[in-house]
Amino acid sequence: MQFVETLQILIQTGAGSLAAYLAAHVLLCLLPAFFIAGALSALIPQQAITRYLGRDAPKWISYPASALGGFVLAVCSCTIMPLFASIYKKGAGLGPAITFLFVGPAVNILAISFTGVQIGMDIALARIILSIVFGMGIGLLMAWLFRKDDKAHSEATNGSRMFAQGAKVPGRTWVFFVLLLAVLIAGTLQVGLLTNSYATFTLPGAWAGFFQGWLDSIVPPNPNLGIEGVSVHGVLLIGLLILIAVTAWLGLNKVDEGFNTWTYVALGLITLTLGVASFKVTAVEDGLSVGITGKFIAEIALIAAVWWMAVKAFEAHEMQEWLWEMWRFVKQIIPLLLIGVFVAGMARAVIPATWIETIAGRNTVWANLVGVLFGVFMYFPTLVEVPIAQTFLSLGMHRGPLLAYLLADPELSLQSILITNRVIGRKKTAVYVLLVTVFSTLAGLIFGWFIR
Amino acid sequence: MDIKILGGGCAKCERLEKLVRETVGELGIDATITKVKDMDAILAYDILGTPALVIDETVKSSGRIPQKDEIAGWIR
Repeated sequence: MQFVETLQILIQTGAGSLAAYLAAHVLLCLLPAFFIAGALSALIPQQAITRYLGRDAPKWISYPASALGGFVLAVCSCTIMPLFASIYKKGAGLGPAITFLFVGPAVNILAISFTGVQIGMDIALARIILSIVFGMGIGLLMAWLFRKDDKAHSEATNGSRMFAQGAKVPGRTWVFFVLLLAVLIAGTLQVGLLTNSYATFTLPGAWAGFFQGWLDSIVPPNPNLGIEGVSVHGVLLIGLLILIAVTAWLGLNKVDEGFNTWTYVALGLITLTLGVASFKVTAVEDGLSVGITGKFIAEIALIAAVWWMAVKAFEAHEMQEWLWEMWRFVKQIIPLLLIGVFVAGMARAVIPATWIETIAGRNTVWANLVGVLFGVFMYFPTLVEVPIAQTFLSLGMHRGPLLAYLLADPELSLQSILITNRVIGRKKTAVYVLLVTVFSTLAGLIFGWFIR
Repeated sequence: MDIKILGGGCAKCERLEKLVRETVGELGIDATITKVKDMDAILAYDILGTPALVIDETVKSSGRIPQKDEIAGWIR
């Protein structure tokens, strides 16, 4: 019997965190983030940034450009390695290549916005700032340590013209990005102006209260473990998400060949879902109370602007590519993420909190180093590091070591070390891994001092 | 005509391959299309990023997916 009970608790906690992930605040973050990632990948030509990464680019341009390149171009891991290799072998050299390699996986729009919503803006900001600063620091250090090699290298590959090709990002693309980013920010920023309700109405019916009671009995909320439980609002959103998944499959899989009716249905449903997610919905005794929040007004206005631009300012093939890239990211990341969330949720019920507290409950050098090493040896799919980190956090991990782990996990995995090894050789890879380990540990430690 | 598509098997590379095959088929051109997946072989070309399109050993595009009529212009 005990086995059955344990299994039940495992499934409940797993389902609880899964439902919480699909609930309003994550939706409002992840949906726009995927659209932004798709737009970065489809609308910004690599040459717009790589032209600053040529052999002759001065240091004060090539290092920041590499960091920016990591942010903009590295949403897809399959582009990182070829670009890394060509910056190293034919372009600005070892230093900027390392900066690119370091910044890329840690600072992409999906990872940052997801971290911000799930774990906290403090960690998300620290992740951006420290990755960029340390990325440039490690790049400069590597270039200095191996300055002799780099010089010989430089002479051997002179005359390559490929970095000279330029490409400009047109103004309308910038405006489009600002709008998409505004959708993301309006949906996730926790300020009164956006979260307050300006009008409230009640959908009558006693069913709402009963339904909520039933949901609470199936997936009991447990604040001790940080398990949120499921609301009526959440169930509605999950239903909408399933509809989106089906229509998007029919409408977006072949969007590169043209739009069909399902494409518009799917996009319409996504708009509707973002709207519904921004309502403030609570089950009350005599029905469902729905609050029209500032967030709702902002989301609707911004999404309308995005639609208008997509139709008026861009050519059909650009929008096709945008949606195609977006959908590709979703297919690549979401299934693994959902499994990761479920398993990470179950882990909360299994791992005793005392373990985590003993190992990483305080901000010490050891705790930070353990966080980093865990990140290196455990390979989690893109974004899954975030629910894992949240599990650790709810089990009592200090935010310092948590940041150390979040920096190291996407940065270093056995797989990426092996590929890096093939491009820059064993000695440089060893030094790089060592530097990343030391810097990530330090980053966690310093961050931990400021935050209690 | 010798057409090579450079790329380590990511979705973009597959899409480029599909586009190229379609264009070649539509124009009725006699061409051999090969996919190059080996990292060292890819880096032997002057490219920045994958997917890249190489026609008769000249790099035509890299780091992006060209439009179909663009491809048609290169292979015609």
